[in-house]
Amino acid sequence: MAVLNIVQAVKRALDEEMARDERVVVLGEDVGKRGGVFLATEGLYQKYGPDRVIDTPLAEAAIIGAAVGMAAHGLRPVAEIQFADYVFPGFDQLVSQGAKLRYRSGGQFAAPMVVRMPSGGGVKGGHHHSQSPEAYFTHTAGLKVVVPSTPTDTLGLLKTAIRDDDPVVFMEPKRLYRAIKEEVPDEEFTIPLGKAKVRREGTDLTLIAYGGPTVEAMQAAEELEKVGVSAEVVDLRSLVPWDKEAVLESVAKTGRALVIAEAPRTSSFASEVAATIMEELLDQLLAPVYRVTGFDTPYPYVPDRQYMPTVTRILNFAKKALDY
Amino acid sequence: MIKDTWKFQPFTEEPIRLIDEEGNWIADFPLDLSEETLKKLYRDMVRGRLLDERYQIILRQGKTSFVAPSSGHEATQAGMAQAIRPGFDWLFPYYRDKTLLAAIGYPVEMLYAQMMATRLDPNKGRQMPEHPGLKELNVYTVASPIASHVPPAVGAAISMKIQGTGQVVLTTFGDGATSEGDWHAALNFAGAQGAPIVFAAENNRYAISVNFEKQSGSPRIADKAHAYGFPGYHVDGMDVLASYYVAREAVERARAGLGPSLVEFLVYRYGPHSSADDDRVYRSREEVEFWRKKDPIPRFERFLEKRGLWTPEEGERLREAIKAELLEAEAKAEAAGEVPPEWMFDDVYATPYWLLEEQKQILLSEL
Ligand SMILES: Cc1ncc(C[n+]2csc(CCOP(=O)(O)OP(=O)(O)O)c2C)c(N)n1
Ligand SMILES: [Mg+2]
Repeated sequence: MAVLNIVQAVKRALDEEMARDERVVVLGEDVGKRGGVFLATEGLYQKYGPDRVIDTPLAEAAIIGAAVGMAAHGLRPVAEIQFADYVFPGFDQLVSQGAKLRYRSGGQFAAPMVVRMPSGGGVKGGHHHSQSPEAYFTHTAGLKVVVPSTPTDTLGLLKTAIRDDDPVVFMEPKRLYRAIKEEVPDEEFTIPLGKAKVRREGTDLTLIAYGGPTVEAMQAAEELEKVGVSAEVVDLRSLVPWDKEAVLESVAKTGRALVIAEAPRTSSFASEVAATIMEELLDQLLAPVYRVTGFDTPYPYVPDRQYMPTVTRILNFAKKALDY
Repeated sequence: MIKDTWKFQPFTEEPIRLIDEEGNWIADFPLDLSEETLKKLYRDMVRGRLLDERYQIILRQGKTSFVAPSSGHEATQAGMAQAIRPGFDWLFPYYRDKTLLAAIGYPVEMLYAQMMATRLDPNKGRQMPEHPGLKELNVYTVASPIASHVPPAVGAAISMKIQGTGQVVLTTFGDGATSEGDWHAALNFAGAQGAPIVFAAENNRYAISVNFEKQSGSPRIADKAHAYGFPGYHVDGMDVLASYYVAREAVERARAGLGPSLVEFLVYRYGPHSSADDDRVYRSREEVEFWRKKDPIPRFERFLEKRGLWTPEEGERLREAIKAELLEAEAKAEAAGEVPPEWMFDDVYATPYWLLEEQKQILLSEL
């Protein structure tokens, strides 16, 4: 088994899918000879040539919009947005064109495409290199939204996203790009969208997370174990579609839940999960469901780490839930 | 087919014209169209005009909720329709293109069905009127956000180039659309890629009430192509033959691998912007009358008459035949029946999603 980090997992997924299906093309800024600023497309240009690894002008509306048209015409484009913070110039193309194409055409046309974007903070990038804009996309019918947190999941989910018949926003937690390495099976595999993963089993409290803060959720669970609290960690992996069943099953067992995410709290996907738990499990809850999220400020340059849900913040809310 | 001579110069100050107001052929090359083609161009224009008039009637009858008048745009649209290969090339149209769509063979009953949101609309009544689309004919479903279809049009053209299909994209939009950022991003990308696409501006000089002088400091839309590295043609869009020949040349260039063109067709819209607009507050009746006198249909009738291809009686017979066809199509569309409300949950995604299944149950319990 090869040991891969998340960037290498992205690269392997793209390579395998491009080799498998010649309709798969990659486009974006610097994705060609440079291999992308994070090197997620390194070597693909040399292997597949300029028609399938397309260096685009610096215009996200053109990148995403062209991907929609390519997809409608039969390709399987994978667009790279250099940072999730730069998706906004292409926002209308994703929301008005890509997301609604199948729907507005009555199923005649579709946009099977992936828009990859490194997202989240912790890289000393200030607010324009650190945001987690997933809620804009989970709020848009017609888009799927996937946020992996491990190399294995990145590989399996990205391959599924590329094969999916709908537009998928694939948000890669950039602070984990090289921070986590793990053994990944050499043989080909995919992971279905919409299936959460229980990363750690527990009985007293459920920590629901996705993307970057899954790491802090796991660390918090270890800390809790030291004081005799058994925490279960559920990694959502995919926000649209999301795995309500897995979440409810876990919380029905523990009676307490924290929903942990880096994005600001107001109108967040964490709020959606929390509200659903309370609607469906009210009589089984032992405490309110707390949202442990980034703050409702722009993402600051300083302090870069304390903006995000830290282990301390998770533990403080865990105490609140346990003491309720 | 690579030709070493092209008929038209890009970036002319004066619009390209091939027939004058009296209907004389004034081009410096011989007309190479059959009688049949000339008659088809005429028929397509008349059909588009009558369809536009019928839409006003179904609006008054409450059978539709919105109309985007297209009268005045017929020559441009009939000309473009003749220049592409329907069902092979792809069309990314906008909401004022009924003449163009009818001319390439979009079944008129389906256009009506879209207007009335009945089951015969292949788009399943998902959008407001004047937003057709038909996969069978490679007509990309119209979207309301101005110019937002232009980047996807470029993407489709790049796909054609990559796959070497020999197809061409034609995309249309209004003058106002040329101010949107996405429009510029799209043309720029098309130029960099040498994509096989024709960008067609139907410049009716107004974006709702805003006239072209306020839209741009540039005297001509065609000039903007210069910055993107491809030709821009400034055309009298009320001259159906100029519209056809320039569109044909732009399509031929794209098919030959010579990349994009921008064609600016100067037209005028005789009606208000839409059924929700009152154009009296921003333009004079004298102005509208001035352009009425330049109506592209009588102008082409004069041309045909000089060649013995048209008489007032023939014109009348054609109108009557088209009216009968339209009435039949309208009845067919109407008879298909309303789109049922629960259809709203289909086609959000390719596969079912529990969330939408749950919400569908909420709706069904209310019905
Ligand atoms: C992005 C966007 N902004 C505003 C509107 C509202 N709107 C609809 S049509 C229109 C004017 C368009 O003018 P033009 O492009 O010249 O086309 P025309 O209607 O004249 O054919 C406006 C402002 C819209 N549909 N989309
Ligand atoms: Mg206009």
